[in-house]
Amino acid sequence: MLSVHDLTVSIGPETAPLDIVAGVSFDIAKGEILGLVGESGCGKSMTSLAVMGLLPQPGPRVRAGRVLLEGSDVTQLQPWQRVEAGHGRMAMIFQEPMTSLNPVRRIGDQIAEAVKVHDGTSGAAALLRARELLELVRMPDPAMQLSAYPHQLSGGQRQRVMIAIALACRPQVLIADEPTTALDVTIQVQILGLLRELCNRLDMAILFITHDMGVIAQLADRVAVMYAGRIVETAPVEALFDRPRHHYTRGLMDCMPSRNSGARRLPTISGQPPAPGTVGAGCVFASRCAGVREPCRVASPPRTGVANGHEVLCAFPLNGGVAS
Amino acid sequence: MSGDAILEIRDLKVSFRVRRAGRKYQVQAVDGASLSLAEGEVLGIVGESGCGKTTVGRSIVGLVQPDSGAISFRGGEMIGAGGTKLREMRLNVRMVFQDPYASLNPRRTIGDAVAEAGDINGFFKSRAERSAAISATLTAVGLDPSFAARYPYELSGGQRQRVGIARAILPTPSIVIADEPVSALDVSVQAQVLNLMMDLREELRLSMLFISHDLGVIGQISSRVAVMYMGRIVEQAATRAVLDQPLHPYTRALVAAIPKPDPTKRILGAIETGEPPSLFKRPPGCAYAARCPLASDRCLVDVPQLRPAGTDGRAVACHNV
Ligand SMILES: Nc1ncnc2c1ncn2[C@@H]1O[C@H](COP(=O)(O)OP(=O)(O)OP(=O)(O)O)[C@@H](O)[C@H]1O
Ligand SMILES: Nc1ncnc2c1ncn2[C@@H]1O[C@H](COP(=O)(O)OP(=O)(O)OP(=O)(O)O)[C@@H](O)[C@H]1O
Ligand code: SF4
Ligand SMILES: [Mg+2]
Ligand SMILES: [Mg+2]
Repeated sequence: MLSVHDLTVSIGPETAPLDIVAGVSFDIAKGEILGLVGESGCGKSMTSLAVMGLLPQPGPRVRAGRVLLEGSDVTQLQPWQRVEAGHGRMAMIFQEPMTSLNPVRRIGDQIAEAVKVHDGTSGAAALLRARELLELVRMPDPAMQLSAYPHQLSGGQRQRVMIAIALACRPQVLIADEPTTALDVTIQVQILGLLRELCNRLDMAILFITHDMGVIAQLADRVAVMYAGRIVETAPVEALFDRPRHHYTRGLMDCMPSRNSGARRLPTISGQPPAPGTVGAGCVFASRCAGVREPCRVASPPRTGVANGHEVLCAFPLNGGVAS
Repeated sequence: MSGDAILEIRDLKVSFRVRRAGRKYQVQAVDGASLSLAEGEVLGIVGESGCGKTTVGRSIVGLVQPDSGAISFRGGEMIGAGGTKLREMRLNVRMVFQDPYASLNPRRTIGDAVAEAGDINGFFKSRAERSAAISATLTAVGLDPSFAARYPYELSGGQRQRVGIARAILPTPSIVIADEPVSALDVSVQAQVLNLMMDLREELRLSMLFISHDLGVIGQISSRVAVMYMGRIVEQAATRAVLDQPLHPYTRALVAAIPKPDPTKRILGAIETGEPPSLFKRPPGCAYAARCPLASDRCLVDVPQLRPAGTDGRAVACHNV
């Protein structure tokens, strides 16, 4: 359904580009949910904006690589050009609701607008559909809240409006950038259940970005772990939790509060990720890696298949299980 | 407890007036919440989305005007205070906002945003002192000092969240109200920020209200937690006790819905958590009755009051536990 090859997103001058996303590749099949996790600032949002054709202008740009939607190359197409070419059914739930909602328009009108763009319906019919969408995302008082302004909603309610807008076009590909971070777990479990159901029923392909390993474990079919603009491990979800192979993935699992309840201090992965442009030869994780050896600092590691559908970008992958 | 309470909230009520379909309605966002925060304590607040957590925080820092109730800081009433007293409280009680982007001015640099409280209050004697304070604060939240020259749009979501924390701690406050401060952060940065907050708490004897929907995170940072539902506190207890043996039916649902980091134990589709309640039609009895597996006739008419349940200052507002 969605296929991304060697995507590279850069900032800075053409002559000396800095890559904030460096050669990212993944595929998502119909009816599949790919979870994307990784450290803050590693390039998850930039990857998804590039896939959507929505990179902010001016600024970051796709320097190399291709985005294929059902086999057609849409890399250089703007969203409206994709709609014209018949590839329009891609939607994104943005990480920060306040930046993508119009503060001076009622949310009902904003959802109806999205309905109109895709279904051609307008007026009362579009508002009715907007109301159905609010019900779908479990907004309390959906009919009444159609006339609310964004600032009159709580953080989690705004997030649900964003999800409703994204679902308005009945997407075939949905990119959800941390869509449930502002929700309490009882609503989160409903929204995740809804996404899973829609994915199965409508054969959607979903890219789900989150930093919550619990959410990944509950929802994803496969997982891609990103670090410093690169995908360092991909695996079926059970395999990843059972036997993480990359040292960074292992570090992420060790940091989870649920694995450390009662500890005086939480383990962290010491050090900082490299700033774009400061990446030299060798592995991007070398300076923080617990298993680093001399060759890691000299040459970038190969991408190795370690099991069926399980790949790791590491010269000396882990092979044990996770201590819990 | 109330003897050494640094912050005490009694029977706080906050409502918003809104127009819907041509008619006026009143949304009761906070409906009689009482809390007390001891000096040096971290009190967690969890609750359903829209139950009024942010509104409680905004009331404390004076961003919304409560209808009634009392909020006292070191014994001084904060509601309606003015002049130097207000200024002193503003510097002492700082909020980390839930939506970091919305609270940052897109045209001001990160450094200016972090220094804001200091600039307004004339903290800095020289430019050098100002930039040293900015660098130190950025470093404290795990950002490189070079971020000072950047603009909000150049930062990732998690980086902006850390800027929000930096802004709050620059004037070395005595209370920080942190509204979902780590929800936007990946686990390793989350761990760093939680460790940082625990350090700050010790070094500065900081007291904290820590709003989060993640009980795992609350368990890490605070020993006591208050659970809110539709504007009221429904349970208050040691965090461990809440996680191990939740009493209130809403708390039980909350604990059951925590996503377990184990793909072989999936709960999606397997748990029913019921419809979220209406904000405009508050039921006469217990606000949770419509969703509650334990609801009885009494629950439909009588509002349950918070009452002691067991030891350790535990309290619960339910007729049937
Ligand atoms: N407009 C921009 N100009 C320059 N750099 C940018 C811009 N937007 C983002 N960046 C940088 O690109 C990197 C990747 O950012 P991105 O938003 O993709 O991170 P992320 O993985 O989504 O992080 P988070 O989990 O915190 O949301 C970050 O280091 C960020 O500082
Ligand atoms: N300015 C406002 N006008 C009208 N209603 C409002 C306003 N601000 C908040 N509300 C309503 O008051 C209720 C409480 O909102 P609040 O933001 O305090 O919730 P919250 O507990 O922080 O939720 P979340 O976890 O989703 O952030 C919500 O139902 C919200 O819709
Ligand atoms: S290649 Fe080396 S530095 Fe990189 S992750 Fe593997 S062991 Fe660590
Ligand atoms: Mg992001
Ligand atoms: Mg809130």
